[in-house]
Amino acid sequence: MALTTAPAPLHRAAKGPRVEPRGPRREGLAGYLFLTPWLVGLAAVTAVPMLMSLVLSFTDYDILSDWSELNWVGFANYERMFTQDPTFWHAVQVTVLFAVIATPLKLAAALGVALLLNKAIRGVGLYRSLFYLPSLLGGSVALAIVWVSMFSRDGAFNGFLALFGIAGPGWVNDPDYALGTLILLAVWQFGAPMVIFLAGLKQVPVELYEAASVDGAGALRKLRSITLPILSPVIFFNLVLETIHGFQGFTSAFVVSGGTGGPVDSTLMYTLYLYIKGFTDYEMGYASALAWVFLLAVGLLTVVLFSTGRFWVHYGDER
Amino acid sequence: MKAFVRTVVILALLGIILYPLFWVLGSSLKSQPEMLSNAGVLPEVFTPGNYPDGWSHLQTSFGRFFVNSTVVSLLVVLGNALSCLLAAFAFARLRFRGRATWFAIMVGTLLLPGHVLIVPQFIVFRQLDLVGGEFPYLPLILPHFLATEAFFVFLMVQFMRGIPRELDEAAKIDGCTTFGVFRNVILPLSRPALVTTAIFSFIWTWNDFFRQLVYVSDLPKYTVPVALRLFIDSQGQSEIGPMFAMSVLSLLPVFLFFLAFQKMLVEGINTSGLKG
Amino acid sequence: MSGTPRRRLLATALAAVLLAPLAACGDDSGEAPAVDSTKPVELSIFWWGGDARAKLTEEALALYTKKHPNVTFKKTWQANQGYFDKLATLTAGNDAPDIFQIDDNFLTEYASRNVTLDLTSYQKSGKLDTTKFPESLWKYGVVDGKLAGVAFGENTQGLVFNKTKLTAAGQPLPTTGMSWDAFISWAEAATAATKVPGTQDPSADYKAFWIWLRQQNKDLYEGKGLGFTAQDVTAWFDLWKGARDRKATPTADVIREGNATDITKQLVVTGKALTSWVWVNQLPELQKNTKDELGVVAYPGDPKAQWARAALYFSVYRGSDKKDVAVDVINFLANDPEVGKVLGTDRGLPPNLDIRAAVLSGMTDAAMKTSIEVEYELGKTFGPAPQVPLRGHSTLRSELIKAAESVQAGKATPAQAAEAFVTAAKSAISK
Repeated sequence: MALTTAPAPLHRAAKGPRVEPRGPRREGLAGYLFLTPWLVGLAAVTAVPMLMSLVLSFTDYDILSDWSELNWVGFANYERMFTQDPTFWHAVQVTVLFAVIATPLKLAAALGVALLLNKAIRGVGLYRSLFYLPSLLGGSVALAIVWVSMFSRDGAFNGFLALFGIAGPGWVNDPDYALGTLILLAVWQFGAPMVIFLAGLKQVPVELYEAASVDGAGALRKLRSITLPILSPVIFFNLVLETIHGFQGFTSAFVVSGGTGGPVDSTLMYTLYLYIKGFTDYEMGYASALAWVFLLAVGLLTVVLFSTGRFWVHYGDER
Repeated sequence: MKAFVRTVVILALLGIILYPLFWVLGSSLKSQPEMLSNAGVLPEVFTPGNYPDGWSHLQTSFGRFFVNSTVVSLLVVLGNALSCLLAAFAFARLRFRGRATWFAIMVGTLLLPGHVLIVPQFIVFRQLDLVGGEFPYLPLILPHFLATEAFFVFLMVQFMRGIPRELDEAAKIDGCTTFGVFRNVILPLSRPALVTTAIFSFIWTWNDFFRQLVYVSDLPKYTVPVALRLFIDSQGQSEIGPMFAMSVLSLLPVFLFFLAFQKMLVEGINTSGLKG
Repeated sequence: MSGTPRRRLLATALAAVLLAPLAACGDDSGEAPAVDSTKPVELSIFWWGGDARAKLTEEALALYTKKHPNVTFKKTWQANQGYFDKLATLTAGNDAPDIFQIDDNFLTEYASRNVTLDLTSYQKSGKLDTTKFPESLWKYGVVDGKLAGVAFGENTQGLVFNKTKLTAAGQPLPTTGMSWDAFISWAEAATAATKVPGTQDPSADYKAFWIWLRQQNKDLYEGKGLGFTAQDVTAWFDLWKGARDRKATPTADVIREGNATDITKQLVVTGKALTSWVWVNQLPELQKNTKDELGVVAYPGDPKAQWARAALYFSVYRGSDKKDVAVDVINFLANDPEVGKVLGTDRGLPPNLDIRAAVLSGMTDAAMKTSIEVEYELGKTFGPAPQVPLRGHSTLRSELIKAAESVQAGKATPAQAAEAFVTAAKSAISK
């Protein structure tokens, strides 16, 4: 099979939506056959709890009371959110700020390191694994202790700043800076998008680079004309997923604030607020409403991302 | 020379990024009072005893938790790899009525914050009679055989769409059925996506605390993340040293898993099939 | 929120459709089977705590099985992080354990929603014997007139101080009964002498605030409402603002480090302050985390404001089908002398006074002994216990932390923060 058939949309201009070609009828059957496990999972495991949470968002569900105590409250939970709950708006602000800063930084770090590691240098496998190490810690207790300790007044970070004569504040414990440490934590754990970028980079046929070199293209031009277009489906995936993940941002907020959202609500991410409402205040009906508003808002954002995607994402299956 | 510069940059970055992990390692070798008074990396008094202490601290040896976590994680890897691959093939390659809608629904399931699903899911699994028993991990594993983790389906779709459709056509001309295309073209070329899925499935399951906490109730059946929390009781005793020691140990299996599988990432399409 | 009958009907119908098969599991109306000494019974029991507590509790339960070979236990113990999330989830699935440990943060949340069995009838019939309990202690388990939990372990507030550093600097040690102003002056002098801040700032600490309120004939709760006003909170915040200005406390970010409930974050063990505001029975664990010698006294002001607080309770799940056996087990754990010896002071002082005396006489650990002696001493002057905290107590606690920290960080004046706190607290307890 010749490589000339490879996708490589070199210099291909962005184009509009592709007209779905009609496949043979039996592909429909095959489609549903391959989809069967997913459909069963959707029906049995995913959809029912999701719909339950939707229904519960119109009730005063509190987890603990007997189900016979459940009251239908209509749109009261939704009304309360938008009209009587300043903390909701505060959490929205914190979350947007976090996501808008952390997501691009994390993606940039992941792509940068992936490009750095996409060369056959000695020990590259080990380096890859080492760069992934921070992400292995997940949201563990150990990480919580480390992060808080590093960014306390007498922690390692201030020790580092002291080398330059700077006396840093008590980062995690200061309402002005705590969100910053949260963002740093999210960016620090860039391993997952990095691995996906690395895997994507493997789809770029080397021959294209060789051909470009013959044409006298520099490294930057190769990156722009070859690597990024071919990588675009994977960039797109990471962008969508990290955006969703950034808005959810539960783990790092939980880790840094010990689950409180403090100091003074400065790290009260939306999902953390939702968790506190549901499991500490036992207002699961309200928490469910919060969750569905989140789904709608982030869903809308995803739709926007998808619609921009057609201008810059190049798929190998397009002709 | 260029490679040298690259290596220097890599090592410098690693030095910064890994500092907190050195700290964890150092702390796992400190005594409890020192842990609170010495914020540096290196222990003043070398205390390796945290490791044996942590290992046998609970009535059940920590080795047992490693076995439990390994079993659960490997089964989840298997389930995700199999089921998500099938679903992704359908979404990426087959044309059927309702595909766009199903795809949108699939992405939609990624969006709902998980905490409101915990109670409803528990109720569903209880109704299906999957909670408890001798093998309490079914609610943690079974969904993964049904491609419920949309992240991986979506990931594989994106990778498959990077595979030139000409390959499918050629295979069909050679007489392949749809399944043949899946088996002979897509499957071998999906290795980077599969490896990525395997890595993430393993690591995320290994680290997942909340769901394992809810479904596993018997000490010998506990998994690593649940067991690690047992060292810290915020109102009473806190065995931080042994907790750090076991945290370090619990990183080892995932690190090795990653180290082994990332090799397969390297041997991606560049060096295999497509070249011919 | 009480809906109209029609709304209730709608919701019930909905629940019925979604949860049909569950109804059979959550039977709480049927008569529990009488204690039968031959029929095998497996009770599920759930608690949080460390490994030491697990060993002791399992040993105690084994003693019960020895006496009643037909009764065995399905034991689950976990760390407190996630404990109540899991308990709530199990409850929602009608799968709560027959017996569970709970504390005063959550007792009312569970009791007022009828998750806990009302033990009053068992207490009246003597099947649950609380006659040897201090009255104020068992009453601290009564919610809305129902006995919702059996107090296990008594404790009370304790101010823990670093004896070694104070003595080395020639400073006097704090004493029980010193006034708040005297205490702050003492802390200021201690800071100057030792170069370590004299005291953690407890303005975010509900238990210190509570004692302080009680000393002025107020309370945290009164009936279904708050027992204090915004003025009280302002005065409290002002008191500690003054202390911070006088350098009697650490800086705001360090205060926040110490606001965590974890033993290992308490400033008295991390060496960042000379005193921490804790529970008396935490002294032994604190002592394990530092080389310096620690001591404990009551919180400042009149110690009569302190009370016998139930460190935690055991409750019976209302949906259990083995209620009688479950109550019998709790009764055994609370009153059997042999069990008392096994459990010791792990959950606080034993609730049964006879057992408490026996355990006390056999105590060898120095820190443990000190903490028990101090609690014993304070116990002589304990006033009546306040009512069990209302629903929303944990929210009130975190709102107090938020308000106090906003003052400490200079984000709000004491009056502004007090106003915000009272508003948030009112809304937390009114839901």
